[in-house]
Formats: sequence, C-alpha cells, structure tokens
Amino acid sequence: MFIYQQREISNISKYKLYGNVFFTFIPVQSTQLDLFEIQRQREARRRALARKRAKEQMQLRTPEPVEGREHVHVQTELYLEEISDRIIEVDMECQTDAFLDRPPTPFFIPAKTGRDVATQIEEGELFDFDVEVEPILEVLVGKTMEQALLEVMEEEELAQLWAHQRAYAELRNAELAEVQRLEEQDRRYREEKERRKLQHMQMLQKQKETTEKIAAWAFAKRYLTDLIPSVFNNLRESGFFYDPIERDIETEFLPWLMTEVEETLEKKVLGRMMLDSLIRTVVEKRLDAFSQEPLSGQTEAPTEEPGPIDAAPQEADETEAADLPVTASEESDQPVAEEQLSRRISFQLEEPDRAETEDLETE
Amino acid sequence: KSRLLWQPERESFPGKPGMASTRISAQLPPDIDPTKAPIAFGRRALPKLNEEIQSPEPLTQQHALMALCDLVHDPEKVYQAIQIGFVENLKTLLLHHDSTVRQKTTEILCIMAMHNVGRQGLIQKGVISALAELFDDPVDICRKNMHQVFEMMAKFPEGAADILHAGLIPLLMFKLKSELDEIQELILDTLSNCLRVEASEALSSGAITILKQKLTHSSVTIRSKAARVLLAIGTHPEGKVVVGEVIPVLVSLLEDTDPEVQASATGALMFATVKPQGRFSALGAEAIPPLLKLVAGETSKARLSAIKTLTMLAELPEGRRKLLDHTDMFQQCLNDPCEAVKRAAEIAICVIKWKPY
Repeated sequence: MFIYQQREISNISKYKLYGNVFFTFIPVQSTQLDLFEIQRQREARRRALARKRAKEQMQLRTPEPVEGREHVHVQTELYLEEISDRIIEVDMECQTDAFLDRPPTPFFIPAKTGRDVATQIEEGELFDFDVEVEPILEVLVGKTMEQALLEVMEEEELAQLWAHQRAYAELRNAELAEVQRLEEQDRRYREEKERRKLQHMQMLQKQKETTEKIAAWAFAKRYLTDLIPSVFNNLRESGFFYDPIERDIETEFLPWLMTEVEETLEKKVLGRMMLDSLIRTVVEKRLDAFSQEPLSGQTEAPTEEPGPIDAAPQEADETEAADLPVTASEESDQPVAEEQLSRRISFQLEEPDRAETEDLETE
Repeated sequence: KSRLLWQPERESFPGKPGMASTRISAQLPPDIDPTKAPIAFGRRALPKLNEEIQSPEPLTQQHALMALCDLVHDPEKVYQAIQIGFVENLKTLLLHHDSTVRQKTTEILCIMAMHNVGRQGLIQKGVISALAELFDDPVDICRKNMHQVFEMMAKFPEGAADILHAGLIPLLMFKLKSELDEIQELILDTLSNCLRVEASEALSSGAITILKQKLTHSSVTIRSKAARVLLAIGTHPEGKVVVGEVIPVLVSLLEDTDPEVQASATGALMFATVKPQGRFSALGAEAIPPLLKLVAGETSKARLSAIKTLTMLAELPEGRRKLLDHTDMFQQCLNDPCEAVKRAAEIAICVIKWKPY
C-alpha cells in the first residue's frame, strides 16, 4: 500500500521558513517492487533533483562566507527539529472489523420473586356452556324470529289491505254498474216519455186544428148564407140596379130643367137689380135736388117720399105685372112658388132700402 | 440491516385476552352485514345516509342504499326521509350507470310507495316522470320494481292522475306486448287503476286489440287482469262501445276454470252490457246460461257481478222472457249474508218482473 504524503521542501533559510506544506513522492519500502517501478522512481528522483537545481540557480544566493567563517544552516524555530532527507516512516494500518450480526438481546427474565402458586380451571367450573349459551341463543333466535314475523306481518297486512281493497272495488263496480244501468234505464224511459209526449202533443194539435177548421167552416157557412141577399140589397141600395127611364129622367132631364130655371131666375134677378139701380139713381138725384132747396123742399120731401115709395111698390107692382106675363108661359107650380118666393125676396130687398132711405133722411 | 436498539413494549390487555365485549343492545350487532353502511344513532341515521348517497364512490352509495332499504320499512323513517329531501337524491340515482345502485334505488322507492306518507312525498317530488326513464332498463329487476311503484301509485286517485298526466299510458300499452309475464301483470294492474279515471288515451292507442290478445293468454293471472282492465275501460261511456267488440271473448271466459278470471270477465261484461248494443251482442253470444251458473255457485266471487249483468240483460224483452223461468235462483240469493248481493237480487227480480203496462 502506498501512502502519499504531500510535502514540499521549503527553502529553509536563516531568516524565514516558508510554509510547511509537504509534497513528495516517497517510495514506500515494500518488498514487492517492480523493476518498472524502480525505474520510475529513479526517474522521478532525477527530475526532482533537476527541478531543485533549477530552482536553486534561480534563487538568490547568499553571499559567500567571509574567511574563517562558514555558513551553517541553523534552525531558528522554537523547537529544534531533526531534519533529514529520510523521513521517518511508520507503517500504520487501520481497518474496520467485518460487521457481525448483533446477537439477540437475551430475554429479560427478571429475577424471580415471590412464591410460585399454580391454579387450574377444571371442566365445568367456570361456566356451563349449555346453560350460558341459552340466553344468547334465545336472543339470537328471538331477534331472527321477530324480524321474520315483522316481515311476514307486513306482507300479511298488505295482502289483507289488497283483499279489502278488492272487495271494496267489487262492491264499487257493482254499484257503479247499477248506477249506470239505472241511468241507461232512466234515459230510455225519458226518451220514450218524450216521444210519447210529442206524439200526444201532435195529436192534440191536430185535434185542435180540426175543431177550428170545423168551427170556421160552420161560421163561414152561416156568415155567407145571407151574403147574396145582402149583397143584392146593398147593390140595389147603392143604385146599381136602376130603372133606365128614371135614370134617364134624373140624369138628363132634371139638370136641364134646373139650368133653365136658373136662367129664368137670373133674368129676374137681373131685372130687379136693374130696377134697384134705377131707383137708386133716381132717389139720389131727387135727394140732391131736394137738398138744394131745403126749406121749400121739406114739406115736399115727405110727400115726395111716399111718392117714390109709392112709386116703388107701384113700379114693383109694375115690374111684377111685367113679370107675370113673362112667367105666364110657365105652367108648373114650382115657378109660381118661386115667383112668390122672389117677390118676398124683393120685398125684403126693398125694406132694407126703405130703412136706408129713412136713415138718410134722419141724418 | 440495521436494528433499532430500542423496541417498544407489548401492550398488556385489560382483563382476559380473547373474550368478546359483553354489549347487549336492542339493535342488531354491528357489522353483521358487510354490504351495508353502518347506521348512525337515532335521528342522525338518515342524514348521514343522505350524505353518503351523494358521494362519488359507487361502493359507498351501494352500502348506503342497502342500509336505507332496511330502514325504509318503518313509516316514520319514510316521513323523515322525505322531509330531509332524500327523494331528489334518489331521483338522480335512478340514472346511475351501475345496475346495483339502480336496483336498490327502485327497491327503496317501491317500499316507500307502500306507505301513504311515501306516496304523497313521491307525488310531490314528481318521481313518476323520473321513473319513466327506466322503461328500457336492461336489468329486469329494476323494471320490475319500477312497475311495482307505478302499480302502487296507481291505486289511489292522485297517483293515477299523476300517471295519466305524465302520459305514460301509451308507453305502458306498448310495453305490454314485449315485457315479461310478471311485469305484464304489474302493468295490467297499473292500467286497470289508471283507466278507471280516464280511458281516452288508452283507446286512442289501440288498447282493445292488445287486451283482446291478452284475454287468451296462457297465464291465468294475465287473463284475469286483462279482463279487469277491460272492466275499467268499460266504466266510461266511450269505452263501453269499444268493449262491446270484445263481448264474445268475455262470454267465453265466463266458462274459464279459474274463479278470478270468471270474476273479472263478469265484471267487464257488467259494464259492457249497460248500453243497448252491448246487451244485444251479449244476448247474441248466449251469455245467460254461464251467468246463471255463476249466480248459482254459492261461493263464487263473481256472484254479485253476475247478478248485476243479468239485471242488465233483463232490461231487454228477450232477456226478460228467458229469465222469468229462473227467478227462483234469485230468490235463493235473497238469503245471502252479503248485503249487496241481497239488494242486487231484489233489484234483479224487480226488473225481470217489470211489465211495460
């Protein structure tokens, strides 16, 4: 084995020592060195030497000693050290032991204290299995049975409920069917009733119509029995049946007669009017004349008055007499009557005239 | 290898080693069923299960569902569950991908529907429409449970109305053709209860042809239940016309060996003969003799319905003529202990002896 020690030989000078770092290759004294190894070592030595020399030459040299003196290497350290080329070598080895298994710790057996006492449980002393197991078994079996019973009861309850429900459903169905049947029956009866009522109504209606018809016929017949006579009566009364001669007389003759009469009368009236106007003018003239001679004329006036008045009736009589021959041609009574009538009228006319003249006089 | 120098001491047991703890409790011993989640004490049980159900791990969910399944037999727990809001979580679980979860959920809903409180809660939360998603579930037991829930919900009016509103009737009709027998029975039960309320949807989806087929099915229960569905349809006026087409088959069922089938068929006939057309066709199908036989049988369930059907047929003149000979049978029925039968017999005698003048 090689041990490498690092060593560098320091320049041991008088004044200083450089560090103590050691660095060399130092061959180990070993018996089994190779030739090659030896050669290598020699070369290494040579190289080291060469390096050393080079170094020494480069390094500064202390001046040569003075005569009689000598340079001596002296250690100036605190502790003197033996310096030698050869280093004291000691072979040291160190080796860990191979690991051994840790031996098991021995059981801790405490020291025995006390006394040894033994006891033993015989059969049947602690408990009797058959007796003790009973309650446990009872509980187990009981619980199981209870659970089973519960389940069975539940199912039974359900089954009973369903049975109950089925029975109820049956009853309900029966009742429902009954209801529907009665409904149906009722519907049928109602429809039948409606039909019959309708029929009856129609019959009554027809009956009523028939009676009305009969009544109407009877009434009409009776009403119309005296239709024809009344019709003829009415027609006769309204003059649809007429005697042609009579009609002829009425329609033609009489109007002609009337017109002739009218003409005659008009003539008469005209005459009278003329007379009236004549009289009037005369009276007016006389009035004028007499008013001019009031004193002398007063006594004459009244005498004059009866004169014209007398004259008037006389004239009237004259006119009447004149009329008479005119009317003499007339033969019927009616014109005579009418003449008298007209006379009366003229008198009436005269009387107002008279009244007028009297009034004039009193004024 | 290194060894620790210090070794911890072994703990010493109190008492004797190897003996179980002596706890006696009214509840089942704990951890008896490894597939169930442990139930918390008292009122905490259900909330804890509620939380466990919402956990993302399917195993936890399954355990919680199994525990819940047992708890839910108790009506108070059902009430509490609904209060806490279990039903929403169960609704979401219905669509779980794991079949066990679905199966257990449907089972729980089934048991909940057996209690009135549960039913009310299920209706309020609208479970029926959520359940309808499971119609095509591949697992049989899920479907069976689902149909059981429907059947139980249909038994009472709001449930039936709910099912009708959800528009499930055509779907149920469709499933009748293809499902297993057990499930068909459940479907028929559901239908008979729902159609009692309203029959128009079923009629529009061609119920009569399907039911006609089922009337001749090999299984006894299916026949009787199909007849019951026809009965339910027949309670409505428009249904009577349609059921009238099936009268010959029903008359043939009157002579079936099973009393259940006879009872249901008689019931269906009872409603079908309310209308005159039905009566005529029943008379034409020679319904009177088997009905008389049913009336004569003392213990038959169909007695009441048979008497009623004969009453309907007696409204017709030919029926009356035929039944005048058999009035003594009705006289016998007057002595029946059942009140309804007595009344029905009286009415029947009245109708038979009625004369138009």
